[in-house]
Formats: sequence, C-alpha cells, structure tokens
Amino acid sequence: MSDAATSSSVPAAKRRSFDIGGHIPLAALIVLVAVAALAAPRFLSVLNLTNVLVQGAVMAVVAMGMTFVIIGGGFDLSVGSTVALAGCIGSAVMLKGGVAAGVIAGIAAGALVGAINGAVVAVLRVNPFITTLGTMVLVRGVVYLVTGGAPVEGEFGLPPAFIAFGTARLLGISLLVWVPAVLLLALSWLLHATPYGTRVFAVGGGREAAFLSGIRVERVVASTYVWCGALAGLAGMMLASRLQSGQPTAGEFYELTAIAAVVLGGASLTGGDGKLYKSIIGVFIMVVLGNGLNLMNVDSYWQRVAIGAVIIAAAAADRLRHRAQGRII
Amino acid sequence: MKQFLAAAVLAAGTLLGAAQPARADDITIGVSLAQDDNPFYIQMLKGIRARADALGWKVITVSANEDKQKQINGVQDLVARGVKGVLISPIDATGVNAAYDAAAAAHVPIISVARGSTSPNQTLHVAMDEKQVGRDIAAWTAAKLGDKGKVAFLGGPAGAPTFRNLWDGYSETMAKHSGIQIVSHNDGPLTRERGVKEAEDAMVAHPDLAAIYAANDDVALGAQQAVVAAGKKGKVLVTGMNGVPPALRAIKDGGLSMTVELNPVQWGQLGVDVLAGYLKGEKYNQQVFIKHVIIDQSNVDDVLKRMQAG
Repeated sequence: MSDAATSSSVPAAKRRSFDIGGHIPLAALIVLVAVAALAAPRFLSVLNLTNVLVQGAVMAVVAMGMTFVIIGGGFDLSVGSTVALAGCIGSAVMLKGGVAAGVIAGIAAGALVGAINGAVVAVLRVNPFITTLGTMVLVRGVVYLVTGGAPVEGEFGLPPAFIAFGTARLLGISLLVWVPAVLLLALSWLLHATPYGTRVFAVGGGREAAFLSGIRVERVVASTYVWCGALAGLAGMMLASRLQSGQPTAGEFYELTAIAAVVLGGASLTGGDGKLYKSIIGVFIMVVLGNGLNLMNVDSYWQRVAIGAVIIAAAAADRLRHRAQGRII
Repeated sequence: MKQFLAAAVLAAGTLLGAAQPARADDITIGVSLAQDDNPFYIQMLKGIRARADALGWKVITVSANEDKQKQINGVQDLVARGVKGVLISPIDATGVNAAYDAAAAAHVPIISVARGSTSPNQTLHVAMDEKQVGRDIAAWTAAKLGDKGKVAFLGGPAGAPTFRNLWDGYSETMAKHSGIQIVSHNDGPLTRERGVKEAEDAMVAHPDLAAIYAANDDVALGAQQAVVAAGKKGKVLVTGMNGVPPALRAIKDGGLSMTVELNPVQWGQLGVDVLAGYLKGEKYNQQVFIKHVIIDQSNVDDVLKRMQAG
C-alpha cells in the first residue's frame, strides 16, 4: 500500500493508463486516518486499530465478491440478504453436524444464491439490478421463513470452536482479519494473473468484443455472481462467529456499503475496471469514518450526513481526477 | 392458569349467553406488529394467539417489518377482511396514522400494544410506563456504580417514541446523580451487530467506561460480547431491556448485568383481554400500563425456572 502512495507520479500514469487517478482512494483513507488521529488521539491505539480491522473484515470479503460482479459488468444487491441466509443456515447445520459442515453449508447457500442470480442475469438476460433486487427481497424472506424470525444459536449456543474463531488471534491479529488478507492475495492472483481473470475483465469491458474473441460470455458472467454469492456466504459465517449466532437481521444495507466501497475504490460501475485491494481501501474508508466519528462522539444523526457527504466527495474527486488526466494526455 | 381462564370464560359465556349459543367463531381479530423477526414480537404474538385461542377467536396477522407503508396497507387489508378489532404495534408514533384512520372509518377498534401512536383514532394503548422503566434502569445502574462513572447510551431507532421516553426517564434520573456522566448518546438499529461495534468504540473512546445502556436485549447482547472480548466482564456494566431467553442466560453468565422483563407473552395476553373487554363495552383509560420487572443476578434463576415451567 505504501508503494502505491509514493508512485503517484506522472510517468507511472503514462505507462499504465488504468492507474490514472487511482490513488485518490488511498489518499482519502490516509487523510481520514490523519484527521481521526488528530481529533481523537485514541484512534491510533492498538486496541482501536484492532477493532477497525475486525469491523472491516466481514465487509471486505463481501466487497471482494462485489468487485468480481462489478468488473464483469454486473451488480448485486442481494449480498446483504445472502450474508444473513448463510449465517442462519450455516449456524443451524452447525448445531447438528459440526463446525466444518456448518461453514460449508453457509458458503454453499451463498454460492447457490449467486448461481441463481448468475443464471437469471446471464442466461435469461434480466437486468442485474432488478434480478438481484428480487433475490435480495426473496432471500430475506427465506431467512425469516427458515428461522421463524429468531436468531439461530441453539439451546446452549454455537460450538465453542466456532465462537473461538471470532475472537482468536494469530500474530496478534484476529483470525477474522486473516480471512480477507489471504483471500485478497489468492483472488488478486485469480483476477490479474489467470486467463479466467482476463476473461472477466474482457466481458465487463465489452460483451460483444468478448463474445467475438471466443469467450463464453454467459458462463463468465454467471461465474462472477457465484463468486459474489459464495464470498457473501463466507462473510455470513464470519459474522455469525463474531455475533455468536445466526442473525436473521444481519447484513442489512451491506449491499449499499459494499457497492459504495467498490466505487470508492475506483471501480467503474460500467464494468471492465477495478481492483480488489482498492475495494478494500474503499471498505476501510467507510469503516474508519464510522469508527472515527464514534470516537469523536459525533451525534448519530450527523454521522449519517457526514458518511453520505464523504461517499459523494470521494467518488467525485476520483472522477474529476480521471477527467483532468484525460484532458492532459 | 390458562385452563382456568378458559374455563372461566366458558362459564361466563354460558351464564351470559344461555339464550343464544356462543358465536365465538364469528370473531376474528387482526394483528400488525412492527417486526416479525424480533423475539419480543414473536413472544407477544404467542401470547395473543394463546389468549385468542382460549376465547375461541381467530387471529390474522399481517407483516410490516419496520416498513410503514406496508403496515398501513396491512391494516387496511385487515379492515377490508372484516376483523372485529385490530391489535397493532405501530412502527412509529405518527408514520402509520393512516392505519388508525382506516380502522376508525370502518368502526373497528384499534388497540396499540407496546409501541403507541399519536393518532386520535387510537382506541387505547396497552403500554409499559416507558419513562419509569428508563428511570428504574438508571437508578439500578447508579446504585451499582456507587453514583460515579461514565456511561454510554446506545439508544433505539430515531423517531420511535418508546426510545425517546426511555431516554427521558434515564437521563432525568442520571441528572440527579452528579457523579455519573453520560458520555455518549447514539440512536440506531436494534441489532446485535451494532451493539458489538458501538460498545467496542465506546470502550476505546473512554477506557474508564463504567456502564453501557443498550436500548434492547439484542443490542445489549452485542455490547456484552464486546465487553467480554475486551476482558472487562463485570467491570463494565451492560443493561438491556425485554428479558429474552438469551439475555437471561447472559445475565447468569455475568456478561450482561441486568434487563427489564417486559414479558411479551403477557403483553399479548393483556392486549387481547383489553380488546375483549372493550368489545363488551368496558371503559378503560387511554393508557393501560403493564408491570415490568428488573432481572439481575439476584433473581435470574427464578425467572429462568418460571420460563421453563411455563
């Protein structure tokens, strides 16, 4: 991340055109951190930084899935409901069949929602906004149906090993944070160093061109939704372990935060552009903002105003930078 | 108890209506609760159904899930289906007044249970004495803290009068304890996730935080998790409200310090009873208060036993 900050010079921009203006999100995050640290000295305490990382971990996993879909030219509003579905189904299975079975069931439930989204969007060619708006509502309904609206935690709670995952640390960092860290490496490799990744970018950049160059467009598009669903499912299990229960209300408005984070990270909503690590920077812009405002004792109503304003400002700054660079070159 | 009441109702029915056979199956009531997924409302609905069954009434429910337009539509549908009365827990005090208007226009009594409305068409309101609950929680907290320390207040959703009243009662009492300082006051959704996050932040902002007020048990369960994870179990008091079973278990474990039992089952039962009385022509005050009980480590075992028994 630090090398990205120092390399924002013009030559880099000339070499690789998609890097133009790409450092605004990181700059925004650094400014935010600086402001938060000045206004609330405890912001930089080890305890708080640990909290911030954990608070962002679940959303980081959701946002990576969202990045797949958005690079592929799509959109997914159903991730929040999927987080809740996975958490509840995973917890229910876990109570009967053990931790591993529960986690697998949660991820599989998410992947299934993704597969349905993918099939409807790619094969039936329904607009992704409408499709996933539909599954967002539908899946939330299913969650309430299967749980009867009550949290899933069993008579004596979820298995201790699963709850321990939500609090355990490795090298001083919560296991919940290691999950997106490892995924970021693996999935960045998948997106930027494999033929599959190239196809995702190609499909998002232009379906016809991708089709003419022999890419099976439907399959690639559908696969991005499966990734998104499976990652939302994994996020749901992480959240369940943090909340020590499957919560039917979990994940509300996650879709909006995830989309905002991906766009803050500089991805284009028209597809074909985006980077996983930048989406995660976007996530942490949102998390640091919320956490910093809490530490500064800012009134909860003003927090909403501030968060909305920062989203618009950061996205606008990124666009302006793009335009400015476009005129110069 | 239930059988006794059912028997009493049957006996009363026989005495009063000897000439005409009980036509209990004619009575259908509608229920519209603010949320379907909140354990409090799930329990309340159980109470409503149990008492309605005992009276031989039918119950139709419509779902709202904190969507005001949906709640208004739902009540309109209930009225259109010819229910004899509506029990409603309005999403907020003014936002669903159209639902009350719809019931009144059809001369259907509409009784608010738990949350209330400002609508002139509200027949009456089965309520907890919210300000008093706020005062009681504050008094309990101040006593445990020895009248000094910092308190974070995690309030409920903005706009809901219940949570404003709780805050009024709580802050009014805390103002009398000059050693107690309310260091933050945030409104927000009633979720466990928010409880975890805001408690984490509050403990960072105020390392010497002594207590966290949480608007309900879901928020409190989240907050107590953060407190336990920070190794401050018992050092930072966490208070909740509602008395749901997971909260009782947390009190037994010591992470949660107290909750206020509103006994949602009783609310539902009282709602049906009041509706039944009203339909028979009995007079009530505009507000019918239900009693609340403070649960902490001293009595949690009794409450758990009572729950298992009943």
